[in-house]
Amino acid sequence: MLGGKGFFCIALLLLSAGALAQSADDIRDGKICATCHADAVQIWGGKHGTKADSRTPIAIVGCATCHGDPSAHLKSFSNPMPNRFSKMSATEKNDVCQSCHQGRERMHWSGSTHERNDVSCSSCHKLHTAHDRVRDKLTQPEVCFACHKVQRAEVNRPSRHPIREGLVACSDCHNPHGSVGRAMVLRDSVNDTCYSCHMEKRGPFVRTHQPVQEDCAICHNPHGTTAPNLLRHRQPFLCQQCHEPTSHRGNVASLTGTSTGANTLARGCLNCHTNIHGTNNPANISNERTFRR
Amino acid sequence: MNRPGTFKISGIALALAAAFGPARAVEPIVTQNIDPAAPASMNTGASSASVGIGYAGDDARRFGQYNGINEDGYYGLLDFNWVKRNDETGTWTRIFGRDVGLEDRQLRFEQQRQGNWGYSIDYSRVPRFEPLIANTAVVGIGSNNLVIPTTLTPGSPIELGTKRTILGLGVDKYFAGNWDVQVKFRNEEKDGTRIFARGTTGTGPVSSFGQFEFGPEPIDATTRQLEAKVNYNGGALLLTGGYYGTMYNNKFDSGLNFTGGLAGLSTFTPIALPPDNQSHQIYVSGNYAFTPTTRSTFKLAWGKITQDAAFVTGPNVPRAPGTGDNLGGKIDTKLAQFGVTARPMPKLSLFADFRIEDRDDKTPVLVYFTPPPSTSNGENEPRSIKTTTGKAEANYSLPEGFRIIGGVGWEEKKRNISEVRVVSAREVTDERAYRVELRRPMSETLTGSVSLVHSDRDGSPFLTTVQNSGAVGSNLIAPVFLADRKRDKVRVNANWAPISPLNIQFFAESARDDYSGRDGSALGPRKGEAQNYSLDAAYVFNDRWQANAWYSRNDTQFDQATCEAASSAGVCPGSAADPTWSAKLRNLSNNIGAGLRAKPTGQIDLGADVTYSEIRDQFDMGTIQGGAVTSLPDVKTKLTRLNLFARYALQKNAGVRLDYIYDRFSSDDWTWPTWTFADGTQLVENRPQQINFIGVSYYYKFQ
Repeated sequence: MLGGKGFFCIALLLLSAGALAQSADDIRDGKICATCHADAVQIWGGKHGTKADSRTPIAIVGCATCHGDPSAHLKSFSNPMPNRFSKMSATEKNDVCQSCHQGRERMHWSGSTHERNDVSCSSCHKLHTAHDRVRDKLTQPEVCFACHKVQRAEVNRPSRHPIREGLVACSDCHNPHGSVGRAMVLRDSVNDTCYSCHMEKRGPFVRTHQPVQEDCAICHNPHGTTAPNLLRHRQPFLCQQCHEPTSHRGNVASLTGTSTGANTLARGCLNCHTNIHGTNNPANISNERTFRR
Repeated sequence: MNRPGTFKISGIALALAAAFGPARAVEPIVTQNIDPAAPASMNTGASSASVGIGYAGDDARRFGQYNGINEDGYYGLLDFNWVKRNDETGTWTRIFGRDVGLEDRQLRFEQQRQGNWGYSIDYSRVPRFEPLIANTAVVGIGSNNLVIPTTLTPGSPIELGTKRTILGLGVDKYFAGNWDVQVKFRNEEKDGTRIFARGTTGTGPVSSFGQFEFGPEPIDATTRQLEAKVNYNGGALLLTGGYYGTMYNNKFDSGLNFTGGLAGLSTFTPIALPPDNQSHQIYVSGNYAFTPTTRSTFKLAWGKITQDAAFVTGPNVPRAPGTGDNLGGKIDTKLAQFGVTARPMPKLSLFADFRIEDRDDKTPVLVYFTPPPSTSNGENEPRSIKTTTGKAEANYSLPEGFRIIGGVGWEEKKRNISEVRVVSAREVTDERAYRVELRRPMSETLTGSVSLVHSDRDGSPFLTTVQNSGAVGSNLIAPVFLADRKRDKVRVNANWAPISPLNIQFFAESARDDYSGRDGSALGPRKGEAQNYSLDAAYVFNDRWQANAWYSRNDTQFDQATCEAASSAGVCPGSAADPTWSAKLRNLSNNIGAGLRAKPTGQIDLGADVTYSEIRDQFDMGTIQGGAVTSLPDVKTKLTRLNLFARYALQKNAGVRLDYIYDRFSSDDWTWPTWTFADGTQLVENRPQQINFIGVSYYYKFQ
């Protein structure tokens, strides 16, 4: 239903001598469309509006490249544009975008978690504004948190990545367009993704720690925790989820006591086992094999 | 075709600004207004610059952890984003700077002829200021030669932290025939210090806490990544072939040396620091459309990781006969993935995916120490893991815009196991998952989904832990990542727009894990639970006034058990002195947020955002058998953030902006306050911390 703004646009067009006889250039440049959709033509200030690139909408048929033939709409505004994005399914919308945007970082969009969950390109990208928030590291998380509510809370925990400062963005670790890794991580696996910044943990070492080699996320929650160092649980509890209770390993967590306090306070179990991600020390004169030196 | 409305997942993407922006409030609601303080888009309408000054009225290391605004004083505020397009050639030039006056500055220059070529240069810094201050008398911090006091010695405050300085280069070139090349290089220099220590239990100068000495790890390392790939777009066939190489070089890989300190720690030097290592991978990935509705994806990759850094040396690092001066570490990796999606009929979509990842650790196995201790045979322990996953899903359209989705998944992990083991191990874990979901992706007013997931993990029999002598060890705990586990999860998602200006989003998730332990043992992981809820609402009063609010509750629990002083054969005393005990770990957080954007006049923009989080860690420890166990006190953390901004346009493309931020952190975390190292070092933190930050800036939008 047309409101006051719609009637104003119609009147403006009817009063315009050229309103019903626009040139192809006017249609391609969006001048006609801008009469009513003034904000939308900000898109021509971006990549889609580069005339010198023959692949862009403005170099093809302008707004109609994505929205379809405007003829019927121009005859009567009660006729919607053929591609009315607000009424299209995710697949239909994505088909429009993917008629140009295929391959490269989007190679594994087909079958990705986002694709299968009806996420459309326009769910995240805003094309008709000067600033596509999802392509800015500072504002990108807001877009992701529209769905990922748990992570919204976690990134503000005391132990966190510098996400709210805009130094690390979701897309530094995840490829929202699909990947071959779990949780759409950027590289082929969780560990490979973590190693891109934390390569010192990769090894291989003389003494390796099984879960470290298997999956960083066994011990860490990269989105944020209250336990130090992004650990899922504090020590000694975290270590006791795997280790047999022989010797000191099952000691009660405590804030006092020579061995129990040392399990819990300061660096916890790492007070002794300082190189917990693995050590390249070949000796064992002080139990270095248990990551102590 | 008459299509219903669309799935509105972005309706409440509006209002999370309060959580972001170290020295500014971003302006997420009135999107048609270009934000001069957050300029990042490659859009000719986004060119702007702002310059100003900020004043922090308090010390707040938590607030400034990653931006350097951690002490009271003045800070320069400078951001710019200049974008120019040559319309004749389609050549873009962009100069970008953010937080240029702060420690976390980011700079970028890029130029590209769209659809032809492009290059970019990035410079950025990622600092991390350690929130804890070290009061220490340790000498040589920052180097790999530390001198430790031999007695409890009062110290001076030392600030720890790291800084990553990153230089990135990128080149793109398109060629005729739908080929293009992308090259990216990233060099990162990381230096600084981080909390590190050495020690052992026993009696030390601080009677309660054994013999532990503060020994900050010096960091001076270079990380490099190079990726070069060739892309082909043949319409139905899309291909990418590339190389990805990484390199880590640690300037301190000769180890961390200690002098002084306790006599009991005389053999605890040097400590090995991370060794240099490298990786190389070549890959080809693709996407092929068999028909317009049937597509496949694939990736094949081959890689190699090597590590041949020289071992640390010295009298405390005897090398066993037959071992060299380096590990000769080598891991070969292979990856194969194939997936297919199809829509055999309009109402039915199908998906299947298969993936194998093989990490083959070919590091030579040698006896590194003789005689071996009871829990090791002296050999190094390469870790090979082969992961195979498969997924399949069917998605069928029902009347009224509903869809029913059913899926199955499977993952198998095979790993090598050392001959001598102190931790329970199994060679294979096997997990199967089943999912059913009812989804309504399109509606004028209400969209959403309900899904149920059940998964079941088991595997090959646990191997008996065994000591070097052949004696059977302790076999009581199934490690959390290997244990048999049944997982159930329910997830509800709804987006409701009851009236045009109001949008409400609801999310709920409940998950439960049930673990099975080693045969005959009730110890180890027992149960896990997670309950997550959130409610978001956004209201658009009119074009000039918009508001939002949200609430989120996250509750995770983990129930586990162990015992003190089990015998080497795994018998728990369950005595008064050495009880068998449990802990029910819980992390409960309540978070609220609200935001307002207003444009009361044509010249004024206003914004306000507030978030508050209250987080409680509980431990709920108790006795299963034996003496009483006292639970650790809860840890309570509270975080408050208020961001306000006002912008006044002096003219159409220029104006002034005022920012105010209030940030408060409080916690009764007991991790460090009572701890004293044997050398006298203490790590301290002011609590609570709060900061009032005011910024004034002038902005200019380029026409």
